[in-house]
Amino acid sequence: MTALPSIVFGLMLLSVFLLGIHTLRQSSRTRELQHEVELLRDSLKRSREYAEQQKTKLALRSDLDTVKDEFISTVSHELRTPLTSIRGALGLLSAGMMGNVDAKAQNLLRIASTNTERLIRLINDILDLERMESGRAPLKLRRCSMYDLAREAVDTMATVAEGAGTKLELVCNAPRDSIYFDADSDRIMQVLTNLLSNAIKFSPSGSTISVQIDSNPNSLLLKVVDEGRGIPPDKLEAVFDRFQQVESSDASKKGGTGLGLAICRSIIQQHGGAIWAQPNQNGTGTTLWVQLSRSARASDTGSNSLIAPPSERGEGLILVCDDDPGIRVVVAEQLRQHGYDILEAGSGEEVITLVNEYAGLGRRAGDRDGRARHISAILLDLYMPGMSGWETLQRLKETPATSSIPVVILSVIPPTDRPMHAGTAQGWVQKPFNENLLLAELGRVLRSYSGPGQILLVEKDQELARAILAGFEEAGVRPDHASTLEQAVDRCLLGAPDLLILDLTLPDGDGFSLVEWLRRQPTLQALPLVVYSSREISEAEMAKLRLGPTEFLDKAKVRPKEVEELVLKMVKRLHTSTAVPAAYRA
Amino acid sequence: MRQILIIDDEDDIREVAALSLEATAGWDISTACSGADGIRAAADPGKRPHAILMDVMMPGMDGPTTFRQMQLIPEIAGIPVLLLTAKVQGVDQRRFAGLGVAGVLFKPFDPLTLASQISDALGWKD
Repeated sequence: MTALPSIVFGLMLLSVFLLGIHTLRQSSRTRELQHEVELLRDSLKRSREYAEQQKTKLALRSDLDTVKDEFISTVSHELRTPLTSIRGALGLLSAGMMGNVDAKAQNLLRIASTNTERLIRLINDILDLERMESGRAPLKLRRCSMYDLAREAVDTMATVAEGAGTKLELVCNAPRDSIYFDADSDRIMQVLTNLLSNAIKFSPSGSTISVQIDSNPNSLLLKVVDEGRGIPPDKLEAVFDRFQQVESSDASKKGGTGLGLAICRSIIQQHGGAIWAQPNQNGTGTTLWVQLSRSARASDTGSNSLIAPPSERGEGLILVCDDDPGIRVVVAEQLRQHGYDILEAGSGEEVITLVNEYAGLGRRAGDRDGRARHISAILLDLYMPGMSGWETLQRLKETPATSSIPVVILSVIPPTDRPMHAGTAQGWVQKPFNENLLLAELGRVLRSYSGPGQILLVEKDQELARAILAGFEEAGVRPDHASTLEQAVDRCLLGAPDLLILDLTLPDGDGFSLVEWLRRQPTLQALPLVVYSSREISEAEMAKLRLGPTEFLDKAKVRPKEVEELVLKMVKRLHTSTAVPAAYRA
Repeated sequence: MRQILIIDDEDDIREVAALSLEATAGWDISTACSGADGIRAAADPGKRPHAILMDVMMPGMDGPTTFRQMQLIPEIAGIPVLLLTAKVQGVDQRRFAGLGVAGVLFKPFDPLTLASQISDALGWKD
């Protein structure tokens, strides 16, 4: 019976021991909680401070803009004043208004005079570019005819061309009534005369410079084709940079400022268009291409030269989630200034609701008019009451319809300390952040991660289209559908898909004409393509149908499921190759 | 003969502009180096100019202020005024145009065409 007390004693010991462990555990849990609360409190404090700082910064920046404006205006004035005397004096002397001078002196006067003119052009160009890039030269849009503008430019430059022994011709391959677009006519004239002046400068005497206009349902294309010395392949892009001329002596020989094409690109980009140079097929000369959208957007938001916008066509819709309204306001304001559209959410729950709403909206709207509005990216705070950033992220990534939206974490935690499960976020910005960092990271994420892919299905049969599309939605791919050739062109111009699935027979044309058109579009000519046809395609036809990586499928032999598998494989391949085709940078 | 009054605080610009107009158009030029001086010169009944070419940025009374002062003096209110400015920003141009001046010309001007620019702006045929 001596065992009982020892058992009791043992039990007592055990319970003391367990209690001890429990207490220990409790206190460690308490410490953990305390630590977290401290972290939260700290984060809240820093966030508030940050919001305050940003508010002050915004106010400060608008002050700075004013100061900068005044500075530029003053410098401009101060430089022009002495130049007025110099130009006046030299002009009168070299024109012989003050009596004749001997030949040597005359030559010196000519040198001084031409270089004064060059200096004046340079000051004008620098100011012009500066004003445009800071967004202080908003476009005055009105309906213009591309033909009328080109005609005017050709007429204006005719005497200059004549003087250089070259001929200008204007060819309009589009119906005259189809080439109207919204533009700032003075600015477009500036571009056209600049392109013509360049072409004349670099063309041999006796050659012809041809201005050609083309159109398609959504955009206008203008080409200036010369027979000049051409631009070396490695300079095709660089000529649009400031002070980049093909030969370093061009500035003095040709009298250019080295800013002409940079100004042209700035103007065209402000109009939502693109400009690029290409060597001519026959080996001599260059073609300068200008592509303008018919419904140009009136973008007067200055784009920071450091941070390229994520796409040529629009900056996208960003969902900003932070429980601190101060931070949301500041971030939203910064992003809006760079052309982004903003949705705000104050909690993780709100993010999930909004995202689902938009996923549904996108699909419905996409069926109707193709302008599927989707959320391009989410900026997500981590420490929030209710559903935390971590949970929100996990929910987003687990749901197929939302898993493709890139997420950028905004947190006081440095990205190096990110826990394992943060691997699913595409970007990370540590608070407090500066505007450039945020924009750079967001831009990087949007450029490098466009989700599992936007697929455009061109198929006239609604039933079949629905069957194929249903599979993609479940796989988290953003599918879009066009049932006619015209719709397909519209969709492609709204935003380049990552992959095109094409049925060859369409009500208003065939797949061949679509591919032919796509081949002429610099941003679309390397598009991966799946051709999907109900009849055998010959080798010769295949050659005409190839774009980027191209696959051919026989409708009779494959099931929708197989199409889906092939397409997903192609999209996956696309996303693993990180190189951006040169054409996309144009 | 056309009589033109040039108002500019820069000696060199006054001289070059005067030489340019005399040499290319044969006009009779008088000059003033400030807004106040310009008003006195224009109001002189013996030498009332047909037009005034006036700098915008001047110490003391600037071009626009001088122009507004001139409009208060009946004898010279009718003389067309052309502003000559080194400011090319759109906002400045709009401000000047809103003043009611006869035109705005830009520095640095071309000395060989300055006279024809003035004639064009004022609708002078000769």
